[in-house]
Amino acid sequence: MLLRVILKRMLAMIPLLLVIATLTFMVIRVVPGGPFDQERNLPPQILANLNAKYHLDKPVLEQYWLYLGRLCHGDLGVSYKYVDRTVVDIIKDAFPVSIQLGGAGLLIAILVGVPLGTIAALRRGTHIDHLAMFVSTMGLSLPLFVVGALLILIFAIWGRILPAALWESPFHAILPAVTIAFKPMAYIARLTRASVLEILQKDWVRIARSKGLSESATIIKHVLRNALIPVVTLLGPVSAVMIAGSFVVEIIYAIPGMGRFFVTAVMNRDYDLIMGITLIFSVVLVITNTIVDVLYMILDPRISYE
Amino acid sequence: MSGLTQYSNSAESTESTVGSKLTCQAACAKSWEVLDGGTRYVFHLRDDIFWSDGKKLTAKDFEYAWQRLIDPVTGAAYAHFLYDVTNAREINQGQIKDLNQLGAKALDDLTFEVRLNKPAAYFIYLTAGPTTYPLRKDIVDAHPGRWTEPSNIVTNGAFKLDSWQHEYKIDLVANDKFFLGRPKIDKIKMFMIPEQSTAFSLYQNDQLDFIDNRSFTTSDIEQCKKDPNFKTQALLRAQYLGLNTKKAPLDDVRVRKAFSMAIDKSIFPKILRRQETPMSSWVPPVLIGYEPDSGLKFDPVQARKLLAEAGYPDGKNFPKTEVLYVSREDTKLGLEAIQAELKKNLGVRIELVNQEFKVYLTTRKMHPPQVIRASWSADFPDTDNFMNVFTSESGNNYTGFKNKEYDKCVEDARGELDSVKRANLYSRADKLLCKENAVLIPLYMATQCVLYKPWVHGIDVNALDIQNYRTAYLEGSN
Repeated sequence: MLLRVILKRMLAMIPLLLVIATLTFMVIRVVPGGPFDQERNLPPQILANLNAKYHLDKPVLEQYWLYLGRLCHGDLGVSYKYVDRTVVDIIKDAFPVSIQLGGAGLLIAILVGVPLGTIAALRRGTHIDHLAMFVSTMGLSLPLFVVGALLILIFAIWGRILPAALWESPFHAILPAVTIAFKPMAYIARLTRASVLEILQKDWVRIARSKGLSESATIIKHVLRNALIPVVTLLGPVSAVMIAGSFVVEIIYAIPGMGRFFVTAVMNRDYDLIMGITLIFSVVLVITNTIVDVLYMILDPRISYE
Repeated sequence: MSGLTQYSNSAESTESTVGSKLTCQAACAKSWEVLDGGTRYVFHLRDDIFWSDGKKLTAKDFEYAWQRLIDPVTGAAYAHFLYDVTNAREINQGQIKDLNQLGAKALDDLTFEVRLNKPAAYFIYLTAGPTTYPLRKDIVDAHPGRWTEPSNIVTNGAFKLDSWQHEYKIDLVANDKFFLGRPKIDKIKMFMIPEQSTAFSLYQNDQLDFIDNRSFTTSDIEQCKKDPNFKTQALLRAQYLGLNTKKAPLDDVRVRKAFSMAIDKSIFPKILRRQETPMSSWVPPVLIGYEPDSGLKFDPVQARKLLAEAGYPDGKNFPKTEVLYVSREDTKLGLEAIQAELKKNLGVRIELVNQEFKVYLTTRKMHPPQVIRASWSADFPDTDNFMNVFTSESGNNYTGFKNKEYDKCVEDARGELDSVKRANLYSRADKLLCKENAVLIPLYMATQCVLYKPWVHGIDVNALDIQNYRTAYLEGSN
């Protein structure tokens, strides 16, 4: 049954990608400015040569068919800005970086967020609860660039224990991963706390306790398993966003990931690159949502997608 | 990479001189002759230059590079650089198909000849820029679309490309066989850092040894200046306001002059704090044809009088006037100061309209507003590169200004080999532009500021913002 759900989702992705590709293709061409507009205007003939080279001299509809034709063959096109670089080249370089950064961030967010929320719920009303909720409120309300700048100031410039930026070693990943983890960690902590509090009131928890089951076994087996369902729901879009690359974090820490390329591609009107990154982002979103649904079915056998 | 010629070092150290003049000196070409009244150049190449794969550099490599630049299939944005060369324009525009018709030929392995349509006084500068560097046909053909990758590229400069993580890092290693002598530094890591404050933090954290303007904000500048290793280099980068001569109220020359005379340019270095040079003429001070009196001087009394004559005494009933600009910290600061100056000295309130870069470019081209804030960076250190911007046919002239005398001065000066006559022509054109017609308001010349660690020496930064690491060396503790 799981396999069928996965298969159905993957098949449904095809028309979805087509719609996204069409919309993106049209929207980026409506935005003022083209890929070869620059501070100094190019002579008309040079511009014509450039447009001809990239088929931008053809009517938009023809460009669209050409693009779809290439897309069917797995060709995402070339970058107009980074001469001689294909979109696949760029994604091949940038995507692993974003996956590593987003993956590390996600891990931190879960490993800190879930225990933080659980402890806060179990110690409701105590100083520990207040402290945990203060930290998570900070995480939700502070913009990423402020968190990043503060961490750089404290750990790199004052403390001199971590690199201020760049992507040279696992050591370099610590500050950006913590920064990117901050907001989802706060969400997860708050959601876990609320969810655990709700589950603690359930009859089966009372029964488990009255059976004489140890507190830790009660929490892990009976409370957390049920309390984590809403958290898992959150993880779908959150992990997609994190893995697809955070523009702010990648800019602050000078990391060559997808988020950075996406925004510069939009600023450069690098049409094919914008298309390519958007499509990859969509694929990631569908895949992570499918994983979440599968996790749902494992966590709660009552849930079915048939 | 090394071209036929190279720019002289502004100084053999990081202590670069402000406003230094750039001249061309020998590089791959050990000498050259200018023949036939300036329409034929013959370059004699050194015979001890090798590519990084050990193959000898020949004049054929220049011939191929120049043909490739002009070939319309390449779609090179800077192909028009060579339009002075015989048949270059015709080939690039598709009228001549045979690339061998280009007036740039290898006469033998060590002799490269260039024929021009007519004399071009600035031509030699083009041979020092990256656009005209040599290329190896066998390499470009063997790796279509991939010849610039570190594993494929061959170079002939002081450093070799070791690795390249696109949009992140370039690693260079010293070229032991560099024909002008091996550089003193073994390896250079260059990072592309999009955020100014990040680069500055890396510098503070000793993760970077050398940073420039792109790496600190205006608010960081005072802290940078306290550092003994902070230096400034004047650039050939002019900042200006272009006035639309076709749109009211700036279609009246008296209003344009009033605007120009009401702005005290000396405020810019005080606000922007990078030792900018205030300007009143379009020809930069170090280039041929510069005259201090070519533009209008700050004179608020006269400005107010002119505005009254135009029908707006004390700025009364002055129509809504917009200044279009790209959102950037320094641009915004400068424009706010201009806004205050015009309010104080003329009683006129201008509106600042900020747009994203590409939207700004489209608006400027399709619907030029009354005033645009723009800048112009020199491609080569010659007045022609600046004066060309405002000719009638220029694609970069958004002012609507078309003046036959100006066009003629600029056209005549291009081919004029007598430097006194040439200077006079440019000075006349400058007066037409900035004084008599007040088509633009020159604001200031920008600078490059660099900050380097005490152990770094000898990096040369020139007025074109070319940074030369060949003479750099490390000395002292780090």
